Amino acid sequence: MILGLHRASLRHGKAVQALRNVDLEIEAGERVALIGPSGAGKSSLLNVLSTAIKPTEGELRVLGEQPWNMGNRSRQRLRSRIGLVHQAPPIPGRQRVVTAVSAGRLAEWGLARGLLNLLHPLDAEGARKALAELDLADKLFAQCGQLSGGQLQRVGIARVLYQSPELLLADEPVSAMDPVLADHTLGVLCRNARERNVTLVASLHNVELALAHFPRVIGLRDGQVMFDCAAADVAPERLRALYANEHLVPAPAAEADAMAVQIPRC
Amino acid sequence: MKRVTNWLILLVILVAVFASFGYLGVDLLRVFGGDNLSQMSAYAERFLRPDLGTGHLRAIGYGALETLAMSALGTLLAAVLGLFLALPAAGRFGWPLAGFARLVLNALRAIPELVWAALMVLAAGLGPNAGTLALALHTAGVLGRLFAEALENTPAAPADAIRLQGGGQIAAFCYGTLPNLWPQLLAYMLYRWENNIRMATILGFVGAGGLGQMLYVSLSLFQEPQASTVILAMLVLVFLVDALSVWMRQRWVRA
Repeated sequence: MILGLHRASLRHGKAVQALRNVDLEIEAGERVALIGPSGAGKSSLLNVLSTAIKPTEGELRVLGEQPWNMGNRSRQRLRSRIGLVHQAPPIPGRQRVVTAVSAGRLAEWGLARGLLNLLHPLDAEGARKALAELDLADKLFAQCGQLSGGQLQRVGIARVLYQSPELLLADEPVSAMDPVLADHTLGVLCRNARERNVTLVASLHNVELALAHFPRVIGLRDGQVMFDCAAADVAPERLRALYANEHLVPAPAAEADAMAVQIPRC
Repeated sequence: MKRVTNWLILLVILVAVFASFGYLGVDLLRVFGGDNLSQMSAYAERFLRPDLGTGHLRAIGYGALETLAMSALGTLLAAVLGLFLALPAAGRFGWPLAGFARLVLNALRAIPELVWAALMVLAAGLGPNAGTLALALHTAGVLGRLFAEALENTPAAPADAIRLQGGGQIAAFCYGTLPNLWPQLLAYMLYRWENNIRMATILGFVGAGGLGQMLYVSLSLFQEPQASTVILAMLVLVFLVDALSVWMRQRWVRA
């Protein structure tokens, strides 16, 4: 078992219960899709699995270790083996694509090499290769702030591919892309996971994409697991129950948070 | 009742104004009386013939260079010191250090450049050395506070993401925070440099070197032509630095 949750709950403050008593076991090399209506707890679950947030109750095991029973230093080492694709890529708008992608290996490189890489890209070829898989090699030296939402999402994916983690988590990785591109990008992500024998867990709001690309599908609703089965066994009535009173709306395009510069004059 | 109070307040203000004239001995009528007007115009006229001799111009060139160097070096030192104080002041190392750093920044900022310069002239002797230190100390307080605010307003998500994939604190700062932050820091630095070039021309009055000291000496010796050249040089210097900083801002901050 490479990823395990035992009776995990997560509360934001007192009012919001994001996850309730979730039990989950995922073996090495599995590819799992998380589906469910907005606010079902997909992002919360991925944040818990990526060790970004400590579950309020319950136990988390990742890559054979318990991240919340270890020191800071060893947890950081464990984190370097986990890759998380964020829904809104947390990349500064003024960074060049090559720098943003190479930031994936900062933990492996150490500080001196990381700082040197800021002055001059040390492995532009590696970054180009990761981008080329997503048809973005021509944007290697572009500014991230000038990319479209979908392009920026692919840069975020390229960073995690460049990191080459043992566990790959993705939070709505294709939400800002058109259907054809989303299908293609998910295909690249799954092929990469298969070839490198990486475990992949991705949340998706598009059910067709989830069923087409992932052998195992988990349905979440109100912070609970509604079903957890092979993609072939996901029957239409199960989906209707999962999304009852909900409409499938595409998520808004991810926008880079640009910081307005104040210029004082006197 | 309210109307009476208003009249009373107006009366008190009027009395205060007249009392101030009496107490300070300001006699506006005498400014325009007698031959004072012609004296004034004669005094102003002496400024209209600036001394453009090569010897004096060379001295002014050196003075201007000194002022420019003082302001640039002072601002640079202040930026380094300010950044070192801004990191704890923005709460990066816990609240006890944040409180202490804020206290230091406020103290540095509360003391004006001229007072710092007077203190530094006593501590470091006459000359540009004292002026540079004075500018650096006061500006460090100002820039530190502005930097701390900019740090607090920078989105945290990019740096958090680097930490989440195992990167260290410093790497997360350089890759996640700095790219969004440095244009703002540069804008603040350029703004303070413009202020400091003006300030540096004045610091000479307390003996801290540069054009200000030349102006002070010429005025003290009633050498109006020489003083007028120094004032012209100050204007040119300020215009030049303003233009340079506009150019730098367009090149690096707006892009």
